[in-house]
Amino acid sequence: MRFGIAAIGGYLPQLRLDRKVAAKELAWAGLSMPRSGFRTVADWDEDPVTMAAEAVRNLITAPVTALRFASTSAFFTDRAQAALLVDALALTSATRTSDLAGSRRAGTSALLDALLGRTAELIVAAEKRQTQAGSTAQFAYGDGAAALRTAEDGAAHLVGHACITRDLVDRYASREHPTPYAYEERFVRDIAVPELLIPAIRDACAAAGIAPSQIAQAACAEPVGNCWKGVAKALKIAAPNHCETLSDQAGDLGAAHALFAFGLALAAAKTGDHVLLVGFGSGVDALIFEVSTAVPGAAEMADLLAEGERIRDFTRFLNLTGAIGLDWGMRAEFEQKAQATVLDRVGRDTIGFIGGRDSAGNVQFPKSAYPVNPALQEVEQLADVRLADEEATIVTVTADRLNFSPDPPFDFGLVQFDNGARVLMEMVNRPASGFAVGDRVRMRLRIKSQNPRLGFRTYFWKAAPLSRPLLGEG
Amino acid sequence: MASGIKDKVAIIGMGCTRFGERWDVGADGLMVEAFTEALADAGIERSRIEAAWVGNALDDINVGNSALPAAHALRLNRIPVTRVENMCATGTEALRGAAYAVASGAVDIALAIGVEKLKDTGYGGLPLRTKGVQNDLWMPYGSAPGTFAQLAGAYSARHGIGPADLKRAMAHVSWKSHQNGVHSPKAHLRNVVDIEKILAAPMIADPLGIFDCCGVSDGAACAIVTTPEIARAMGRANPVTIKAVQLSASNGWEMQFGEWDGASVPNTQAAAARAYAEAGIRDPRAELDITEVHDCFSITELVIMEDLGLSDPGRAPADILDGRYDKDGAIPCQLDGGLKCFGHPVGASGLRMAYEVYNQLQDRAGARQRGKVDLGLTHNLGGSPFNSVAAVAILGRLD
Repeated sequence: MRFGIAAIGGYLPQLRLDRKVAAKELAWAGLSMPRSGFRTVADWDEDPVTMAAEAVRNLITAPVTALRFASTSAFFTDRAQAALLVDALALTSATRTSDLAGSRRAGTSALLDALLGRTAELIVAAEKRQTQAGSTAQFAYGDGAAALRTAEDGAAHLVGHACITRDLVDRYASREHPTPYAYEERFVRDIAVPELLIPAIRDACAAAGIAPSQIAQAACAEPVGNCWKGVAKALKIAAPNHCETLSDQAGDLGAAHALFAFGLALAAAKTGDHVLLVGFGSGVDALIFEVSTAVPGAAEMADLLAEGERIRDFTRFLNLTGAIGLDWGMRAEFEQKAQATVLDRVGRDTIGFIGGRDSAGNVQFPKSAYPVNPALQEVEQLADVRLADEEATIVTVTADRLNFSPDPPFDFGLVQFDNGARVLMEMVNRPASGFAVGDRVRMRLRIKSQNPRLGFRTYFWKAAPLSRPLLGEG
Repeated sequence: MASGIKDKVAIIGMGCTRFGERWDVGADGLMVEAFTEALADAGIERSRIEAAWVGNALDDINVGNSALPAAHALRLNRIPVTRVENMCATGTEALRGAAYAVASGAVDIALAIGVEKLKDTGYGGLPLRTKGVQNDLWMPYGSAPGTFAQLAGAYSARHGIGPADLKRAMAHVSWKSHQNGVHSPKAHLRNVVDIEKILAAPMIADPLGIFDCCGVSDGAACAIVTTPEIARAMGRANPVTIKAVQLSASNGWEMQFGEWDGASVPNTQAAAARAYAEAGIRDPRAELDITEVHDCFSITELVIMEDLGLSDPGRAPADILDGRYDKDGAIPCQLDGGLKCFGHPVGASGLRMAYEVYNQLQDRAGARQRGKVDLGLTHNLGGSPFNSVAAVAILGRLD
């Protein structure tokens, strides 16, 4: 094996909007929108950081020197999401980090840099993009994340690449216009296909020493629909474009889109296959990989598309995506202000979900000078124990309908970890029948609190069912 | 070995406002209302008060922190006034402070007053509060019904009682308090409600419906305490005395250590055990005539009956449905309607409970009078089942 992709992972929120439902709700308006398939919808407490953590958490089976976070919808503009992820994933503080933004191509560009630099890195891209109600983007976009780990023992390695940088404004978002502003699709397609996608892919194939027709699987981000059709016809590529599948089943994931679809492509690829990865946005990155062996994590990404829970209420979708602002009453006025001093003192243990093991072996969270274990009487130093990757059992629980939640009810209760730790926790991804005493749960990183006035948020872990429902026919 | 507080403190005067949505009056007015009644009951001048303990739990709602709001409202003139706060157990905490001052001999006459002006929040239910900037980073913000509702599932799991059967017993708890509350002129809610309506009520926190939850009220209650000797000198031949006041606070064991199953409140058990010992009670089921307990939610009262040792473990639902705690039952509970119907102005509730027992002991409870009452228990619970402060007081007559 050679330097390349050692593992890949992805994350999609559980909630799905059936586009037919949206089309029916908005039929009166006669708006143009995608009318088939699904889009993923992040919970109120999911954002690019939480989804990135979920996508990358299973990839950390070997040391890395850097973590690159790519997103066009990162919450903080002067606080590194990558640094939050280092703490959330309990990586060493020596990890080099960077946030990449400004283009949907940021994810593939970060991957290409890692591959060309031959550095063992985690590359993670995630999006939760704000859209305007009724816009095509609101139904075409989805929320999600994808991650890769590069290493010397790669299962798929880069054999050729080509890049074209061009300020083609197919769409844009800005501080003053945070929702996408899209230009005419015919214009975008007529420029992007012949002047960007085809030349870049052709050059990448040439660099790899293969004909485009030898591409077995593709993950080619399209600025608008039907671009791949033109590319494939011009270059005589018969390979399926997994970005199209992803767009149909989950929506356009922005910076994470091509990387997630790359996982689907790798899952479908056989040893020796050539796989195309194309990122699009202010230009094109085209990368050709050769598969040496099955890429760890790829098969599981395909399974994610089959999971999901349909959103039954269109207004719930609008609320979750921030397209409408409901008046939640005075209870919603409660304001939490996180303090930098506290975050500096205990923030790493909190977002990393680090508890402590006492001298008798019991684990507790949070740590304390005097252990909670009644058998111990003296002050002692507890040894760090990470709880984020542990399963647990619900001891007590309720669905609180009085407490304010942006997506009620507010499920919470005591959760018992197998190692002895017990924590009062919020619960997410509520099953159809609700949570019950004795249910087994796993931990998911989520937003703990947000302060809209101050533009700040904190993160903690919440308990979720071990498995997710299948989307099914509904 | 400590001798305890039994019969070292007499209650010579008590007052309690009408609880409810008191749009007409602020916290200061509520305190004046309760204090004026207590002074008249005690038959003393305000200047006889040598020290005061004032309890209010939510200082950001029209009361204010420190002793000063009470000192100002009651014009307590340069005496020691101490503000106490122990969540919903605050009222009993204030009584405990005043009683200890008298028992220690530090003062002859002391005041305990509790007050809360909840209806200045602008909405129903208790206000949401920060849990401290460090705990806020991880601890959920559940509502009060949300925390206590969790007793139900855990209770079902421990005792194998189905949710529907448990809910019916919980409904009886609320039904009974509404029956009793009708006879309390100062109660917040004075209407009877039938069982089916209780069962069908909108859900607040599963499985608590709206009728499983206590009233959110404004109100104040207070007690004037002294020594039995002074009480007798003031003409009370057989004064009401404090037999026990005990408090128990969580140290994190329930929330952080993996032993508790969530189906009981260990602090209630601990406080009750110490209170029974302090009062010399060996068989509470036989010796207690009445109880006023912290029925913030129906499931709480159900669990309390077991934690106080009045029902066997797992038997509270059956005892409740059998009418054991009804007005004419073996050990009536909440003769005044309890938190459920008399109301729950947080800092005042512990003293309101004492007020009812105090009146029952003196045969002054009117239509609610149980007959001859020799011993009554109050149970005041702050926080949540998994992080609580429990206070138990036992009142009786000196002789």
